[in-house]
Amino acid sequence: MSEPETRWRSTSNLGRALLVGGVAVGVALATGIPALVVVVAPLLVMGALGLLHKPTREPYVFATIGHRQLHEGQGTRIRLETRDMDDVEHLTRVMSPQPFLAIRPVDGALGQLLAPGDQVRAVEVSPRRWGSRLVGAEKVALTAPWAGYRWGPVPFIGREVGVLPTLTHVRSGGEAPQPIGLIGAHRSRRDGNGTEFSSIRRFHAGDRLRRINWRVSLRQGILHVESTRAEEDTAVLLIVDALADYGQSGGIGSTESSLDVTVRAAAALADQYLSGGDRVSLRVLSPSGEYAGYGTGTRHLRRILILLSRIRPGLPRDVAIDQIDFRTTAGSVVVVISPMLSEPLATATVRLVRRGLPVIVVDPLPPGSTPSVYPDADAVVSDLAWRMRLLDRSHLLAQLSAAGCPVVPWNGPRTLEEVLRRLSRRGQLPRVGGG
Amino acid sequence: MRRGAQPSVWALRGVLVAGILVALFAWVPQGHAPPVVLDVLVVAAAALSAFRPEHLSLPITMSFVVVWWAFAIGGDGLPAAALVAAAGLTITHVAAVLLSYGPPSLPVDPQLALLWAGRGLLTWVGSLVVWGVARTYTDHGTPSLFWLTGLAAALVGAVVAGAAVPVRGQQARE
Repeated sequence: MSEPETRWRSTSNLGRALLVGGVAVGVALATGIPALVVVVAPLLVMGALGLLHKPTREPYVFATIGHRQLHEGQGTRIRLETRDMDDVEHLTRVMSPQPFLAIRPVDGALGQLLAPGDQVRAVEVSPRRWGSRLVGAEKVALTAPWAGYRWGPVPFIGREVGVLPTLTHVRSGGEAPQPIGLIGAHRSRRDGNGTEFSSIRRFHAGDRLRRINWRVSLRQGILHVESTRAEEDTAVLLIVDALADYGQSGGIGSTESSLDVTVRAAAALADQYLSGGDRVSLRVLSPSGEYAGYGTGTRHLRRILILLSRIRPGLPRDVAIDQIDFRTTAGSVVVVISPMLSEPLATATVRLVRRGLPVIVVDPLPPGSTPSVYPDADAVVSDLAWRMRLLDRSHLLAQLSAAGCPVVPWNGPRTLEEVLRRLSRRGQLPRVGGG
Repeated sequence: MRRGAQPSVWALRGVLVAGILVALFAWVPQGHAPPVVLDVLVVAAAALSAFRPEHLSLPITMSFVVVWWAFAIGGDGLPAAALVAAAGLTITHVAAVLLSYGPPSLPVDPQLALLWAGRGLLTWVGSLVVWGVARTYTDHGTPSLFWLTGLAAALVGAVVAGAAVPVRGQQARE
């Protein structure tokens, strides 16, 4: 029969008290000096009391985390469920430090004297950046009265918690340039059954009688009706460039890297359009190539947020960027969120513009951001290389603008409003047909 | 997240070193100064122990102090300075116990510190009792070996009894 497992172990405190006490008593016996026993008497008493409080039952400790999914900046509690704690006087919790995870208590260590019936204090954690974060990795130690025995420290491995990008709920005032859906909030380019006034025209067969404008009809002597603009939804394709991450991320409320801005901008735009009843699709240029087809509603928004939280930067596998089929539909608005440091992506963007789709490039590169380089790289050379890339980028952005693709830096959820208005006005201008 | 030692931990480390120095130098007023080599050794070991309170260096250092006392006292009986030394060793032990509850990033819980201060004081009263009893029986014809042997037997008995008591959880599984 194997030896049963117990995690109670005698402590160094007990060993010290007994060792020093034992040495002193031994020397006192050998030399006949009672003063030595006086010197170590407190240690002997503490050692004896430590032994007398030897735990007699194995405690049960189990960690629970309040949430499986959180948004950046939200918090949750890590609680300890305990049983059979009668022999426990003190509990120590030490959280394992994790990147982008704020912990309260700030130092990640918590000690608590336990009286019978006491609840163990919870540790509060808050992920500071989107992605997958290990939450609840900690060590727990229990100490018996007089610190003679200790249970653990027992490691708890924690759990991966999906951290979704934060959302700022803003309803856009911008209208889609080419809405072609059936229902929605965008003003259509065609007349139809809506509320917004379009024109007064002659009555045609099929016009509703309640649309007749009697004043104009009497003046003209012929029936005239008020026509309105149809209201339609639109389709929005979000193309997210996760080929690389530039700059340093300090988590929410702190410095942002280019990928932070990209992910948060994509989340904000998806939320903005989906809450307006539009259809949104997501295409991520990354090794995993996260993709969500056109869809609507809050479930679709959640799916998009989960896909965004899973992004790992890198080049797409098995496919060249300029060969990617973005599966755009007629009338879609294409929003490319990219610092445009990849020429193939710029080429793919121009191709979309030439197909007649309204394409907007959102620039997520924070000012002053630099790429991460190998530690042994020559700083002067890498700085020069980065400056050259920035020059290339500005040239590329100018070419995109010249091709009819507006480029705007990300400036919050209202970034696209003015651009969309401009695109919408341009779409309504008469065009001269080319050969 | 801060991972350095808390100010209260630094204070406790200081108390640990101070305690052992008090024990070492308790008999200096009577003209028994420890050798410089021992002073340096104890200070160095105490400083190491302050950072690693669960290391074996601390009981060894404390044992050195005890052995030094055996040499220093010789046949001088039961000086009151032994009580000061007892207080010093108790303070060192209690500081080490408090430091062992967690990593240096764990601030010392004032309630826990108060509890252990009380325990230290109570156990030091044990020294006072032993000192009083020993003073009473010295020069009364009872050889000190007589009661020392009794005390040692009681200590060994307590250790054996404590070690022999099985954990209840183990009993249930067996």
